[in-house]
Amino acid sequence: MEKIAPSKGFKLKLAGMPDTSVIRLSRPATVGVSALDIPHIRPKLLVKEKQAVKTGTPLFHDKRDPDIRYVSPGTGTVKQIRFGPRRRLVEVVIALDGMDDFVEFDPVSPADLNSLSDPDLTDRLKQGGMWQTLRQLPSRDTADSRSTPPLIIVCLNGNDLFSPHPGRVLEDKIKPFEFGLAILQRFSDRVIVAARKSSMDRLEPVRHRITHQVADIYPAWDPGAILYHIKTKAEENQAWYIHVEGLIRMARFLETGRYPVETMVTVTKGHDKKPHMITRLGAPVRLLAGNFSPESVITTGQLNGRKVDPDTHLGFFETTLNILPDAPDDEMFGFLRPGLNKPTVSKTFLSCLVNKEVQLDGTLHGEERACINCGYCETICPVDLMPSFIMKALHGDDIEEALQLGLLDCCRCGLCSFTCPSKIELTQILSLGMDTHHKDKQG
Amino acid sequence: MNPIKKIFDLLEHDFSESGNFAKLAPLFDATKTFFFLPSPKTRIGPFIRDHLDLKRYMSVVLLSLMPVLFFGMYNTGFQSGLARGESLDFWSAFLSGAWVVMPIVIVSYAVGFFWEILFAAIRRHPISEGFLVTGMLFPLTLPPTIPLWQAALGISFGVVIGKEIFGGTGRNILNPALTARAFVFFSYPVTMSGNVWVAGANAVDGITGATALAVTADGGTSLTAALADQGFTLPHLFFGLVPGSIGETSALCCLIGAAILTLTRIANYRIILGGMAGLILTALLTWLLPGTYGTWADAGPLYHLCAGGFLFGITFMATDPVSAPGTNPGRWIFGFLIGFLTVILRVANPAFAEGVMLAILFMNVFAPLLDHLVMKHRISKRIPNV
Ligand code: SF4
Ligand code: SF4
Repeated sequence: MEKIAPSKGFKLKLAGMPDTSVIRLSRPATVGVSALDIPHIRPKLLVKEKQAVKTGTPLFHDKRDPDIRYVSPGTGTVKQIRFGPRRRLVEVVIALDGMDDFVEFDPVSPADLNSLSDPDLTDRLKQGGMWQTLRQLPSRDTADSRSTPPLIIVCLNGNDLFSPHPGRVLEDKIKPFEFGLAILQRFSDRVIVAARKSSMDRLEPVRHRITHQVADIYPAWDPGAILYHIKTKAEENQAWYIHVEGLIRMARFLETGRYPVETMVTVTKGHDKKPHMITRLGAPVRLLAGNFSPESVITTGQLNGRKVDPDTHLGFFETTLNILPDAPDDEMFGFLRPGLNKPTVSKTFLSCLVNKEVQLDGTLHGEERACINCGYCETICPVDLMPSFIMKALHGDDIEEALQLGLLDCCRCGLCSFTCPSKIELTQILSLGMDTHHKDKQG
Repeated sequence: MNPIKKIFDLLEHDFSESGNFAKLAPLFDATKTFFFLPSPKTRIGPFIRDHLDLKRYMSVVLLSLMPVLFFGMYNTGFQSGLARGESLDFWSAFLSGAWVVMPIVIVSYAVGFFWEILFAAIRRHPISEGFLVTGMLFPLTLPPTIPLWQAALGISFGVVIGKEIFGGTGRNILNPALTARAFVFFSYPVTMSGNVWVAGANAVDGITGATALAVTADGGTSLTAALADQGFTLPHLFFGLVPGSIGETSALCCLIGAAILTLTRIANYRIILGGMAGLILTALLTWLLPGTYGTWADAGPLYHLCAGGFLFGITFMATDPVSAPGTNPGRWIFGFLIGFLTVILRVANPAFAEGVMLAILFMNVFAPLLDHLVMKHRISKRIPNV
């Protein structure tokens, strides 16, 4: 097992680490398939409101590859199709019936796997709504089935600081996990399995499968960050990756011929330690979040998630919710206070002397200013970028220079925006740059 | 609700787009945000943000300048007392010094803010906190006897030409405070040259006193002996009880400032250490050169370090992040060359002894080039991703 120990990243201790006990939530009344957390997709709806659907019925597909389908995680009727600004699809909501009725495929046992040809395997995964769990760096778009990946990274830990513990996700699922790895081997000879150091305690049964152990500094376990630290040549940039939840579901789909609908999620709330929860894919946010003040901000990751509307459902890839408390009022002489309770990665508040878990609120703590070249963003960037230089190149419309400076290595972890004293939205600026480049390349 | 907050809320309307004083909105905004740190909600990820903001950032720099400022006040009073043959106790020296120094600081802030507000109003951008530092740095580089109108002119030049014409804070190439100081220096060499006036109680007929860097040795004596002769022994220079610009005389206070800036990581230690290394190495080299007996080439590293404005410049001026390089190797080189140039200028040009100011301005101009070279090197080491 190789060890990756990047020195840069986020070292504050945030409060809210979920408890490792597990509870099973009751069956929700509705489930949703959100299109908001699927990068680059151009969805085309395949169902209408009030239409009856089975578990596994395609709800929409990706116009760029109509074979890639997003299917219903439940049996019932389409209750609502929600659109956002400019008629962008937000989510398809299904009102669940009492019983599940599945779209059935022929099961494939691990022993049968090799009788399936490569195109058949790909096709089966696409039909079943599983292919998109495989994603491709650096754009994080759905993996291109016509290409051969130089390597595939299996991420045992989710994007967020508080994603479900892989030990819990894998519990009783060692067989599907092994089968999943065998499936991946069909696509690439090099499959890398990476886990956070702090997760190793519960990973004994799959220890021999783990090839890389990463340090406990956010976002060291992000596939982009892992790739940055292990790659040796440019071709490897096109690596694929998959999160462990997706891998297990892919394996279970093949084995049973049915769309697997269970998932494990965590909810992070101030100093509460909430347990891990087993629920249905696309469960309603309200059901998961429990009680929260109407002022609080709900995100799918404090540093790299999106803001969610409590009346929607959890996204396709999302396994965690963070509830940030409402912000206090503007503070008198805020900039002069010694700041014992003002967590910061800088050393300008006394809080840097105490090392305890902190809860941050969802405010900027300042106002946007011009870049003063202070270098804070560089000292925290996990992939050794100089975000301020890239930002300036992008502002000058010099995408070439931005690319040379390593723009595509950015793993959108959010740390540069987090730390910038001028409150510049660096992560957003870089993300937009990357997305524009990706779009241009696709033509 | 907080009563002060109430007043702001009451006034808010008058300064809004449609209000009577819409043009003064940046002033209102600056005042309000001075009292109440604004905390707008994050709109996009990351949804949590660090507590450090630019106001805090600049406040730490101001804090680090306090020892220099207070000592400067005391020393101004002490020196003028000395020149008049009176020996003052601590408080009367401090107060009489403050009486001289405060007007310069106030003029610098008042005139500088006038320009800041004017440009902010025209450009409709918020007033930048950076000026809090510029407005304090500039007076500290002046001799205490500077006529106030020259200070006003200087800060105007620094703010307008040194910063605003480049687009304001964050876009300037040169350090605005140093630009201001250089302007005064070249326009009014008499008030700014090696001999400064020691502020008298009634400043009209103050008494001239040489600063350490203006000391030269006559044939036969060594420079250090000549310096000691005039009261510039090493301990005096280190503690700073010598005539000179308000903020630069005390090496000790500059080092305290440097410690605050380095511990809080506001200033980049690479610039400060690089600068000291450059100065010490170059001073050692010139010291070893034969045939320099009695000139500043013979002064040795310690005198170079403690005399004149080097420590002040490298701590507070060179570390201005905007005009310094943004890459770490660039910062080392930048600092080192400032140290190097400071000694070279002092040695090569006895008529213009204070080399650190020019060295920093000169290196400010080269900072983007240093960054460019460093970036090129970094790019060549990255595995390309296109
Ligand atoms: S540039 Fe910013 S968002 Fe991208 S990896 Fe670096 S710190 Fe994270
Ligand atoms: S942290 Fe912000 S202000 Fe500092 S260099 Fe980066 S972008 Fe500029």
